Amino acid sequence: MTWRQALIDAGAVPVAFVPNPAAARGSKEDTEPADRAAFVEGAELEAHPVPDRGGARIPPAVSFLAGFARWGVVACDGIIQVVDAYVAAAVRRRDGRGVLHTRFERNRAFAVAPLERMTPGLRHVLEASVSDIEPIDGGLAGQPARYLDTVESTVRRVRAGLERELAEQCIATLGAEEWLVLDGLLSRSPTVARHPRALGVINSHGTQFLEGRGLERALTLPAGHRTSVFAVRGGHTRTEVYSWYLRLWPWEGNDLLYGLLRVEARPDPASVALASELSGWLVAERAPLATPATRWDRLLYPLHNVEEYLKARAPRDLSTARHRLPVAS
Amino acid sequence: MIDKATPSPTAIGRVVATELKPATPHQFHFWTATETTVGIGAIVKVQGAGSTEQGAARVVYGVVTDGFAYSDLATPLHDVVGAEGDPARAADAPTARQEIRYWTAAVLRQTPEEPLQPVPLGQVFLADDADVAQALRMDAFLYSATPTAIPIGLYTSAGREAPVYLDADFLIGPEAAHLNISGVSGLATKTSAVEFLLASIFAHFPPHKGRVAAVCFNVKGPDLCFLDQPGNLSDEDRRRYDRLVVPAQPFERVKLYAPLKADGVNLNTLRTHPDLVGDVEPLTWGLQEVVDYAEVLLNRDDIDAKADAFIDFLRDRVLGRTFDDGFGGTHRVQSFADLDRLFRSIFDGLEITAGGRSDTWRTHHIATMRKVRNRLLNISTRCKGLVTDDGPASDLPWTEFEDRTVYVIDIANVDPLGQDLVFARVVSKLREQLERRELGVDAVVVFVDELNKYAPGDGPDTYVKKMLLDISERGRYLGLVLFGAEQFRSQVHRRVVGNAGTQVFGRMDMDELATPGYQVLTPATKSKLATLPIGELMVRHPHFTQPIFVRFPKPPVLRGRDGVERFPPAADVPFDDAVVRQLVRLDRRIRPNQVKDLIADREQDDVRRALAATRRTRPDDPLAYFRKVLGSRVAAEVPPAAPREHRAVQPLNPISDEPY
Repeated sequence: MTWRQALIDAGAVPVAFVPNPAAARGSKEDTEPADRAAFVEGAELEAHPVPDRGGARIPPAVSFLAGFARWGVVACDGIIQVVDAYVAAAVRRRDGRGVLHTRFERNRAFAVAPLERMTPGLRHVLEASVSDIEPIDGGLAGQPARYLDTVESTVRRVRAGLERELAEQCIATLGAEEWLVLDGLLSRSPTVARHPRALGVINSHGTQFLEGRGLERALTLPAGHRTSVFAVRGGHTRTEVYSWYLRLWPWEGNDLLYGLLRVEARPDPASVALASELSGWLVAERAPLATPATRWDRLLYPLHNVEEYLKARAPRDLSTARHRLPVAS
Repeated sequence: MIDKATPSPTAIGRVVATELKPATPHQFHFWTATETTVGIGAIVKVQGAGSTEQGAARVVYGVVTDGFAYSDLATPLHDVVGAEGDPARAADAPTARQEIRYWTAAVLRQTPEEPLQPVPLGQVFLADDADVAQALRMDAFLYSATPTAIPIGLYTSAGREAPVYLDADFLIGPEAAHLNISGVSGLATKTSAVEFLLASIFAHFPPHKGRVAAVCFNVKGPDLCFLDQPGNLSDEDRRRYDRLVVPAQPFERVKLYAPLKADGVNLNTLRTHPDLVGDVEPLTWGLQEVVDYAEVLLNRDDIDAKADAFIDFLRDRVLGRTFDDGFGGTHRVQSFADLDRLFRSIFDGLEITAGGRSDTWRTHHIATMRKVRNRLLNISTRCKGLVTDDGPASDLPWTEFEDRTVYVIDIANVDPLGQDLVFARVVSKLREQLERRELGVDAVVVFVDELNKYAPGDGPDTYVKKMLLDISERGRYLGLVLFGAEQFRSQVHRRVVGNAGTQVFGRMDMDELATPGYQVLTPATKSKLATLPIGELMVRHPHFTQPIFVRFPKPPVLRGRDGVERFPPAADVPFDDAVVRQLVRLDRRIRPNQVKDLIADREQDDVRRALAATRRTRPDDPLAYFRKVLGSRVAAEVPPAAPREHRAVQPLNPISDEPY
């Protein structure tokens, strides 16, 4: 019997709510605190062409790290919503034939509930049946929508922690010529942020480091170009990293963020020197397309592959909300 | 013969089922690694994770019938976009898309058999020898107290190699019988397969089923003329023979029969090399044999009650008897020449003696008599050498067939009408003798190539076709087994192929595979059939619930083409040398000059008659006997005294519409 069923058997009301994954994903980096950018390559932000695919130097060995989270409200103790959550992260290494193989993988299945607000009987059942409970502030329980935002933040924090741990584990064993590409902020871990062969690839642009003319140049960057390198501090650790924007696909006819990546590398002059070469490599990663992902224009296929891998191994019972009526396909 | 299961096999795949493609009791799907040895025709085993009520885990055997590969590419257009429209760039993508190798397998067998359930979603293993035996239900006849297993080849898919056996009860009878083999010509599959299978039958035919022989009609070139000569086998072929426990040797006992050429002394075969021609027996028949099978010579328009009645009259009242023609002439008809004289006498009598006022003779109309005369005398002209004027000079040993012996009848160079006659008479005699249990063996395999010609699906109902239908439908009860081969199975009479318990397919033409008879095969199986290499076959057998691909070794005999290169046919020799050669065959002490002196200035017909009589009698002193019969007119063989036994072909059941 699952802990969810045990809770329902003890008197909790069964419910089924799964947040819209697209909406949750969009807010991934939104709340990360950030400072204004400090230019380290020139006095102002400029557009630099990057080598095309033919001239790009692709490292022979690259590992890709991405994470995955899924949660849903499964039971209610009065108005207290009890959440079933699952987060996972994996590192997949690309071999000489371009095939990805899993090197590291971690996951965590847990419940999210404000234990102090639950009735004693149900709390006892929950604590007895679930070994991993992530506490949450029960103060917002009376405001269900804001409560769910908090749940979202909690799950995201757990996922970020898992990704950070896995990145540090991977960095420790990275080969001499091997690179690590993370889906997200490099600055979450100082250890990873200082590594010479680690890159963070950010494809959601909730946080803006530029303003004025620099912002305009970044958001109207032509395809196959990068901006000048600038320094930012990000993540809860306020770790400094060097960063630049890179346009993979033409934005004209689409939107300003179409095909736009922000790349993070270690804060070192070598990163500035390598920015164009590394950008050429990332442009070469446009193929194969990361379809059918809706963000394919700025999602690298290997990172998409890691996400799909994690989705395939995730528990199925949280993948969709359980509707009371069959849904027409 | 069967290796025991290898311990702790490694799973090579896993059964997957979706709502759209579920696992059923007869079919399942599984995936494997991209790099895999699995292919179309591979036999796999699914090990159920759970256990049945009886306690044993459910095991399902299947054969791969289709395969799919695809990636996570949503639409081909995405590949174009990713490669920016340049196909050369598509290969430059640093990451390979996620791919799948997805296979469809048809269930061969489930254990336990009941209750019949969908295939469990378990691990998939490659089948080993023991698994193949189980999967193909060969265990029943392979491990029984009286095994009836006949090796047909090696299952070689997926890097494995396991012997595959046919059940003699279903190949030779009585449960089922007959084998039909189809395939395009020129790929050395059909004839080679039959040669190997005959060797296998001779090596493994169960003792409790008695004695077996084979009769092969050589209808083209030198195909079957060198079955007693060793061919070139590779080490791999020899290893396969060892694996199948079949001796890699040519047939020990082969008897080859060939008609004579029109000169009556040279053999009409490609096996005339001096080193080999001594083993060839002449095949010559006389009027008696031809009249008994006169129906063969009549086409559909000829067959009517009047012609039948007149032929019966000739058989019962004329042949071998002293007969008054009613016009003052007395005849004793023992040869075609005698028969022609009788006809001329009758026609003259009607026109001259009767003054042309009557068109009938003894109730038979003159037109009917002319038609029968034309047909009968025509054969003696068109098949001169096979049909002689001198009675049954040489024939098959109808009561002394030997065990494990191949009787090859070379009619490759005989007129088609003569081929029909030979085929009809030989098969009819075999059937008669088997019915009487007087053939000397308990079962005979008759190999007929070119079934497209002899038993076409359309066209007139010839006597030969009716005979093949008769064998197909009733032969298994007698031990008369038809091994038929053809290029286009769809164009052979459906009851001939339908009654074949074992169906074998070599490389097939795609047009042929598009015909309705192959609808049960998947496109992948058809594709494999269309590209089968030499030496590989697809086999259907009553015990196999699905077609199985097997590989057989090259036959241990000299191929026809190689045979004529190694043993070039000798040119026809002059009449006197041919006579010498035939007499020397009977007695090696005879000196050529003795014979040449003897036949100098003699009529060739007289010499031929004397030679035929000597061959027929096989005296202790052939030369003395030959000299004796040559001294006076040699009488044709006198048939037994009346009443003469009616030896006509037994009537065949008319072709009906009953399903096979």
